[in-house]
Amino acid sequence: MRTIAIALLLAAAAAGQVTKEQLLDAGNDGANWLTYSGSYRSWRYSRLDQITRENAGKLKLEWVYQMPTTLMVETTPLVVNGVMYATEPPSNVVALDARTGRRYWRYQRELPKRINVCCGQVNRGVAILGNRVFVGTVDAHLVALDARTGAVLWDVPVADHTAGYSITVAPLIVKDMVICGISGGEYGIRGFLDAYDAATGKRRWRFWTIPEPGQPGSETWKGDAWKTGGGPTWVTGSYDPEQNLIIWGVGNPSPDWNGDVRPGNNLYTDSAIALDADTGKLKWHFQFIPHDTHDWDAVQIPVLVDGEWQGQPRKLIYWAHRGGFYYVLDRETGKFLFGTPFAKQTWAKGLNAEGHPELLPNIDPSPEGTYIWPGVQGATNWYSPSYNPITKFFYLSYWENRSVYRKGEQEYSPGNRYIGSVPLIDLPGDLGHGGVRALDPQTGKVMWDYKLETKPWAGVLSTAGGLVFGGSDEGYLFAVDAATGKELWRANLGGIIRANPVTYLVDGRQRVTIAAGNALFTFGLEQ
Amino acid sequence: MRRLWLLPLALWLPAVGEVQNPRTSAADVAAGAKTFRSHCAPCHGYNGTGGLGPNLAAGRFYHGSTDEDLFNNISNGIAGTEMPGLFYSADRVWQIVAYIRSLGSAGQTAPPGDAKRGEEVFASKGCSRCHQVDGQGGELGPDLSQIGASRSAAYLRESIVKPDAEVSPRYWRVSFEDGQGRKVQGFLLNEDTYTVQLIGMNGALESYDRAGLKDFAIDKRSAMPSYGGVLSSRELDDLVAYLWSLRPAGRGSK
Repeated sequence: MRTIAIALLLAAAAAGQVTKEQLLDAGNDGANWLTYSGSYRSWRYSRLDQITRENAGKLKLEWVYQMPTTLMVETTPLVVNGVMYATEPPSNVVALDARTGRRYWRYQRELPKRINVCCGQVNRGVAILGNRVFVGTVDAHLVALDARTGAVLWDVPVADHTAGYSITVAPLIVKDMVICGISGGEYGIRGFLDAYDAATGKRRWRFWTIPEPGQPGSETWKGDAWKTGGGPTWVTGSYDPEQNLIIWGVGNPSPDWNGDVRPGNNLYTDSAIALDADTGKLKWHFQFIPHDTHDWDAVQIPVLVDGEWQGQPRKLIYWAHRGGFYYVLDRETGKFLFGTPFAKQTWAKGLNAEGHPELLPNIDPSPEGTYIWPGVQGATNWYSPSYNPITKFFYLSYWENRSVYRKGEQEYSPGNRYIGSVPLIDLPGDLGHGGVRALDPQTGKVMWDYKLETKPWAGVLSTAGGLVFGGSDEGYLFAVDAATGKELWRANLGGIIRANPVTYLVDGRQRVTIAAGNALFTFGLEQ
Repeated sequence: MRRLWLLPLALWLPAVGEVQNPRTSAADVAAGAKTFRSHCAPCHGYNGTGGLGPNLAAGRFYHGSTDEDLFNNISNGIAGTEMPGLFYSADRVWQIVAYIRSLGSAGQTAPPGDAKRGEEVFASKGCSRCHQVDGQGGELGPDLSQIGASRSAAYLRESIVKPDAEVSPRYWRVSFEDGQGRKVQGFLLNEDTYTVQLIGMNGALESYDRAGLKDFAIDKRSAMPSYGGVLSSRELDDLVAYLWSLRPAGRGSK
């Protein structure tokens, strides 16, 4: 009987709003925005072409949805058949009518009094499968909601929030599983990536990003440092269905800026990891920075492209890393193919044949302070890049700035910061600047540069209409020509943009939505 | 029932219900400093003078200024802000409170010099042309009505003798020529990729599109001349004593 009941349940889920097949083909579904990065390849690209170079100047505000919060809004909304699912910080979910911005329902997460998240109680979005919406919470739970009502279907603890664990990442659906990462790299957590059964919330597997003694990779740790070694997984990864591989970025080792207590290369921190989707077993890894002491997480979006490499077809990953280098990796083996700086950096002479940095002297944080480009927030960070198959350019928001890296004493205590110093993130009077760049992904050459006075925390979206959308800390949403970087349109949204844009159709008309300040803004062409 | 429980607690508290910090020794302050530097300084600055979070060394607290308020805010965080709570024992939090109380000028002994004579120096040497005290004076420079609460005597002395040593970005001057060939100068308030906002030298708020501006420059030096060679050493002592005395009455003003 039970078997039959479960089979019926699964059939019902499969017949819901979003099927596994739809997710596999999300990159071709211009009408909806179904995953955090728009597709499993994570191009943040849309085939929609109603908004073009010629008419982008006629973009007009359609609606605003204000959130009752003063926390930063980092959500990437999903859109399914005219319904938008977005998160409100700290860990609430709303379903909105994508045509009007009016709300259908809100899931309001009750939270414990003390929540420690390094950099704000934020959330970057939901995942959806069938009639279920999945959200991670800052008290480190994963929750399944009924997409029609917001009712809780299951709620499972992923980790102990009083030990510094939290969830800010948007989960990723792979097959019938919810893949969910963890935050807490500033609190001495031991990181992992989890897979949960979407129907029941039961955990299928866990991959520890810090191996325990005896496991492969444990030789890169000494003593008990692995227990508090960090390695969070706080930005959504990608999925390669052909190889059945989940490819995900791993964050910094803990403590961030004092590496003395964790000698060794500290695998798998600051690495790209490729896991078998069914078992969670590691197939390959590539460590961008062994023994990082600058907090340069590898928590960027892995952009998966089937392209040519030196004349041969090859499965590639394009990856612009926080430390300031752009990399091309082989997706089948994790082998390094190419790397070059995309912004000013003063810590490495270059990369060797294995892709590891050849370090310059005196780059380590010091008690008196060490000046290094890029700064603590990196030459890029969690905000999404985009790949456009028409221009064949890789677009990213970048920063050109430096920080003073200080090294201090550090003692571990559960649930409290474990960082090892107080870096000066921005030098007064020397704040640097940022912008959006287009790279030729095969050479890393900068094809154009849209400069901003300030350093953006907004991701980019590119479209078949020949546009790149981006945003700034100044509060501007802008559209530039994907081929040249020429500005075509901008709007002042009046609040810092720390989110990624999405595009989709409502009643057959293309819309663009982005979060700014404490609100969601939606634009469409003037009719 | 709940109300009855509170009664014995209220009796146990000292008069007027003010909770006293039980950890205020020099060793407590030192221990508090250590905790502060690893957990609080990323936002509040290495010396508590502010950064992402507010300056804690000025003796002004915007979410309650009693020891108990500070204790609660550190323990539980402040809802609606980026301030998190700490997972620490009460003793350890009290040490942080003790350290915060040791910051700034609260509790320092007065510098040498006669504040009364310093007030006369302030008036006669033209300071009030640009600086306000209690609503009197010019508006080009910073209001000094409570400057003693947020700056040490050494800092005040340096500001008079070497005004360029540290200039707040609020007092950086921007200059350019606008589209009509008019020369514009003012204090930079804000700028972005496309616009710039300033206070003109006549005190009016002005905003410009950056496109078409010529010779755009930002001068990060102080507009104030040095008074190093202007004041006698006694006048300087007196002026510092006067400025140092400018503070709200009592510790922990609202």
